[in-house]
Amino acid sequence: MEKSGSVDSLGSKQSSSRQPSVDSLSSTSTSRSDRSSHAKAPSAVSSESVSTSNEFSPQLRTFQDSSKEPQLLPKETIQDVAKDVTYICPFIGALRGSLTVTNYRLFFRCIDRDPVFVLDLPLGVISRVEKIGGASSRGDVSYGLVCKDIRNLRFVHKQPEDTLKKSVFEVLMKFAFPVSNNLPLFAFEYSQEFPENGWKVYDALAEYRRQGLPNESWRISKVNDHYELCDSYPSALVVPVTIPDEELRRVAAFRAKGRIPVLSWIHPESQATVIRCSQPMAGVNGKRCKEDEKLLQAIMDANAQSHKLFIFDARPSVNAVANKTKGGGYESEDAYQNAELVFLEIHNIHVMRESLRKLKEVVYPNIEESHWLSNLESTHWLEHIKLILAGALRIADKVESAKTSVVVHCSDGWDRTAQLTSLAMLMLDAHYRTIRGFQILLEKEWLSFGHRFQQRVGHGDKNHTDADRSPVFVQFIDCVWQMTRQFPTAFEFNEYFLITILDHLYSCLFGTFLCNSEQQRVKEELVKRTVSLWSFINSQLDEFSNPFYVHYSSHVLFPVVSMRHLDLWVAYYIRWNPRMRPQEPVHLRHKELLAKRAELQRRVEELQREVANRATSSSSDRPGSPTRSITPVQTFV
Amino acid sequence: MEHIRTPKVEQVKLQDRFSNKSITGTLYLTATHLIFVESNSTSAQEIWILHHHIASVEKLSLTTTGCPLVIQCRNFRVVHFVVPRERDCHDVYSSLLRLLRPVSYEELYAFSYNPKQNDEQREEGWQLIDLAAEFERMGVPCDQWQLTDVNREYKVCETYPRDLYVPITASKPIIVGSSKFRSKGRFPVLTYFYQEKKAAVCRCSQPLSGFSARCLEDEHMLQAISRANHNSRFVYVMDTRPKLNALANRAAGKGYENEDNYSNIRFQFVGIENIHVMRASLQKLLEVVGTRALSMTDYLQGLENSGWLRHIKAVVDAAIFLAKAVTVEGASVLVHCSDGWDRTAQVCSLGALLMDPYYRTIKGFMVLIEKDWISFGHKFADRCDQLDGDSKEVSPVFTQFLECVWQLTEQFPQAFEFSEWFLIQIHEHVHSCQFGNFLGNNQRQREELQIKERTYSLWAHLLSEKQNYLNPLYNPILAETNPVLEPSTQPCFFKFWRNMYHQFDRSMHPRQSILKHILTLTENNRELEKTAQTLKAKLQKLGVSTSPLGLYTPSRERALPPRPQSLILGAPLSRKEAQQDEEEEEAVFGEEAREDEPPGSDGERTVEGSSATENGYPELQGTFESKSEPAIVSLEFGVARMTC
Repeated sequence: MEKSGSVDSLGSKQSSSRQPSVDSLSSTSTSRSDRSSHAKAPSAVSSESVSTSNEFSPQLRTFQDSSKEPQLLPKETIQDVAKDVTYICPFIGALRGSLTVTNYRLFFRCIDRDPVFVLDLPLGVISRVEKIGGASSRGDVSYGLVCKDIRNLRFVHKQPEDTLKKSVFEVLMKFAFPVSNNLPLFAFEYSQEFPENGWKVYDALAEYRRQGLPNESWRISKVNDHYELCDSYPSALVVPVTIPDEELRRVAAFRAKGRIPVLSWIHPESQATVIRCSQPMAGVNGKRCKEDEKLLQAIMDANAQSHKLFIFDARPSVNAVANKTKGGGYESEDAYQNAELVFLEIHNIHVMRESLRKLKEVVYPNIEESHWLSNLESTHWLEHIKLILAGALRIADKVESAKTSVVVHCSDGWDRTAQLTSLAMLMLDAHYRTIRGFQILLEKEWLSFGHRFQQRVGHGDKNHTDADRSPVFVQFIDCVWQMTRQFPTAFEFNEYFLITILDHLYSCLFGTFLCNSEQQRVKEELVKRTVSLWSFINSQLDEFSNPFYVHYSSHVLFPVVSMRHLDLWVAYYIRWNPRMRPQEPVHLRHKELLAKRAELQRRVEELQREVANRATSSSSDRPGSPTRSITPVQTFV
Repeated sequence: MEHIRTPKVEQVKLQDRFSNKSITGTLYLTATHLIFVESNSTSAQEIWILHHHIASVEKLSLTTTGCPLVIQCRNFRVVHFVVPRERDCHDVYSSLLRLLRPVSYEELYAFSYNPKQNDEQREEGWQLIDLAAEFERMGVPCDQWQLTDVNREYKVCETYPRDLYVPITASKPIIVGSSKFRSKGRFPVLTYFYQEKKAAVCRCSQPLSGFSARCLEDEHMLQAISRANHNSRFVYVMDTRPKLNALANRAAGKGYENEDNYSNIRFQFVGIENIHVMRASLQKLLEVVGTRALSMTDYLQGLENSGWLRHIKAVVDAAIFLAKAVTVEGASVLVHCSDGWDRTAQVCSLGALLMDPYYRTIKGFMVLIEKDWISFGHKFADRCDQLDGDSKEVSPVFTQFLECVWQLTEQFPQAFEFSEWFLIQIHEHVHSCQFGNFLGNNQRQREELQIKERTYSLWAHLLSEKQNYLNPLYNPILAETNPVLEPSTQPCFFKFWRNMYHQFDRSMHPRQSILKHILTLTENNRELEKTAQTLKAKLQKLGVSTSPLGLYTPSRERALPPRPQSLILGAPLSRKEAQQDEEEEEAVFGEEAREDEPPGSDGERTVEGSSATENGYPELQGTFESKSEPAIVSLEFGVARMTC
């Protein structure tokens, strides 16, 4: 029996959230038993990785065998079981039960309660395990687990008297931080087969072909085929035809980490482009690079519609200036004529990390009632979201309305730049708003262009104080969610899709978000050795589809970035709080209506055919075909 | 009208509140309205503002372009005119000052408004809501509660209605005695009866207890209420005020019930602030959200400092307490505040709304307002400033109630038959003075004014366009399975009601609405069903029998008349108008236009949403929304946009 899915999109109501039900999957599949078995295990995983939200709303969860013991995934093995562990739930209080640690998950179960209380999370979400204080008089030791997904867990366990025996938490620490313990990540062991291979979703050349590239102004360069020009860039790069590869090498020397300006997206009509790169190495002396200037000129010339170029530097101008002392900097207007430099004032990864840390303090475990709004304000999280969205909006507006090409960079061009270009592309190109299109967008702008997922998330690494960690990607998904709220019919995916992506960002179940760059992924042979998250998602699209979606192929979205339209993503950040009870599912009603429409349409067509048949057969005695008087059925939503 | 000095001013500029945009047009001043007509002949937007809606007029100091005139309305519209000549500006200003301060009820719009109905229709309209029938629906009178005629002539309490329901054991002397011990004579009477547990919700005003006074009749009265309910041995007495306020009242010879004197009560303070705090709070809120280029910090802190959402939460909390006491414990509850016509009305009506699904229907909500607000004497005339009166008496108590209901509809999107547009329309007409329902302060006054003979009922008007107010997500089956709503009161569930307070600020409206989407879908299905029916009929004529149609029983959607154009959601505007304002308009019209297109067609690139301005904050952009007014004047186009 499958679980009837987790209802983790608690608290969401306007957003088109989802109703996971594995039944719907099996009923739509052709080879029923076959497919549901595929979907079963990972869906259990995904649901459980987020499903602690249900533990408090048991009516939503059918407690099957799965709650008695963890349903193990293929290659998942139990490492240790400890009875008599106490989980200090911040909402219910102390719960005694058994704790199971596998090489993938932590599973806690308390049978004293009715219904049975279950806590089931992938070890990947654990950021830090700490012993709190020494052993109490009864020999109890307290452990705190700080998680990456906005919650903290606390357990109390008796220290084993036999000092040779390891505590379950020592086992847990070993498997929670496999990288630090020279163990493989679980993704390399997990080998579930899915009907679809998610690694095939993205093909750089196919995506550029879809955009109409190469064309008379743009070529696909092989200069980075072996990642020699830039080890954090993909192998296929789109550059102006007028710039030969040798000049690109010289540009690479002038751009931080060799991340030269390359094309990310081209407007299908105006040929205005979105270009990304890293900061120029201008330094305090304002060093210049002829080839770089020529490249930017060529980018401008490739777009006949405009004789200007906008350079969006995502950083606050002070930071950009400060970077000069470290050899970096920004494009001076003397060197780059016809280019206009704009600073978007978005803060760096450290500020963002701090902001999310504060947000976690405000929302977990409990919300302070009297100062909710000012506490929320003090985190500045929404302000950062607003700045990022506003920046992306300006980029999209320049490309769409002013038909001008834009160059986007920050310092290294893999954090804020990725946020901005991908959001702008999401606004400009409806293809990226489909489920597969969004996967392509992530594969392209985030994974292939080297957002450093390994460093930013710290997969399996116990060094939780690492300054390279930052929730840049979470922030991006939050921005996408804000857009889906403003345009509920424009996105093919639902809220559950976004939450699932974030859950598997940490779970280390799939290979998708491992490593820092395409080069590393190739080297680690991720495609061969791990499963893609998209395999899992694309094998059960029903779960992730937005029932409100209407496909308009060439439709540009300009969201409102006024704070009156931005909200905290309660269904993600506050989902562990049991008082965030699920809202009535609006989308169900909508699905019902859609089904009804399909049924009626079928019926009408059937009748029309029948009438037509009848009419032709009896047309001799009935002048005027009856079908003609029938109003054509228009199918608009 | 003798007060109008200049009926028409040309070349007046209307400036947008959140941007630097402006349009030029002509300003007309009529006996009932201030009208602005854009001079651009092709679009000719019109804005009609009813004088009663104007809360304040302010003349700012002269600038190079002319004399600015800022008008704030009670429906949260703010318009900013620039009149080229100061003289004209002054004329309009002083005329308005007089016009927006009617001195007698006879001057109110309701007495001149005529929707072309005959007397019979008008009378029917007034008979739509029958409170006696409502009490019957609750199961009153019954073996424990009876109708009393003690207030037939408004002798015991002039702010109460004539028909009152009291416990069967409460004799006339007890009632009269109790009323003498209660502020304004508002003694405890029944307002809602929870049949399932025979528990009653009663309301009254504060006792005149001072520091030590007691009244045996009043104690008897509470005992009678207690005895009428066999489920519980005590009655909850909810004093909706903060304790401090109640204590202060004791010095004035008023106060609260002493638990020692009343043998069987449980006393509870709830802590809802008074009308002055609420007025100031809303004022602060409006200042915050009216700021141009508002930063996130100012917004969130301003929202919190205004306290508005905290006050909303306090009212909802009180209602939840009431509903729990009645439905879970089966105890009767007596609710009061100071006079028992503001906070008491809020808590009683919201509590009943949580308990009884009937009040969550369109008709039921009207009954609820008629009962707890109109008949029990919420002072609409004073609170809404209908006549030129004491500004200290003005307070957004009723607005607050509507907002509480809205917050509930957000948490329970399927539980209400009506949409937020219905709430906004009621709010609009509470202030418009176009219908008689809300005129005056109490039933007695309304009878003196011969409201039913001389004005029309809002309820009839709203019911006649009922389909505009329907919530497409409404699921009546839920009302049977979960009749009692249990809202969550986590602070993140209380949100700023953008569509109410920014109703007329086009740039603040959302771009797409699920509501609209579902409405279209529902209509589609209805069409399809009709087509199928026609086809079936045709086939039958042709002599073929068909299987019964579909699997679905077309429940309540079938009988609805077609949705009229240009009302709430997504009324297509004329294309002519659409071409006017490219960016912003394009956004909305684009969407409308696309509805005619089959999905997936490769049309031209369409833009949705406002475009980014140079500073990246498109909220500064925006054009004015307006269009020719429909037959009923104060219907504003704002909401039509807002939900789109």
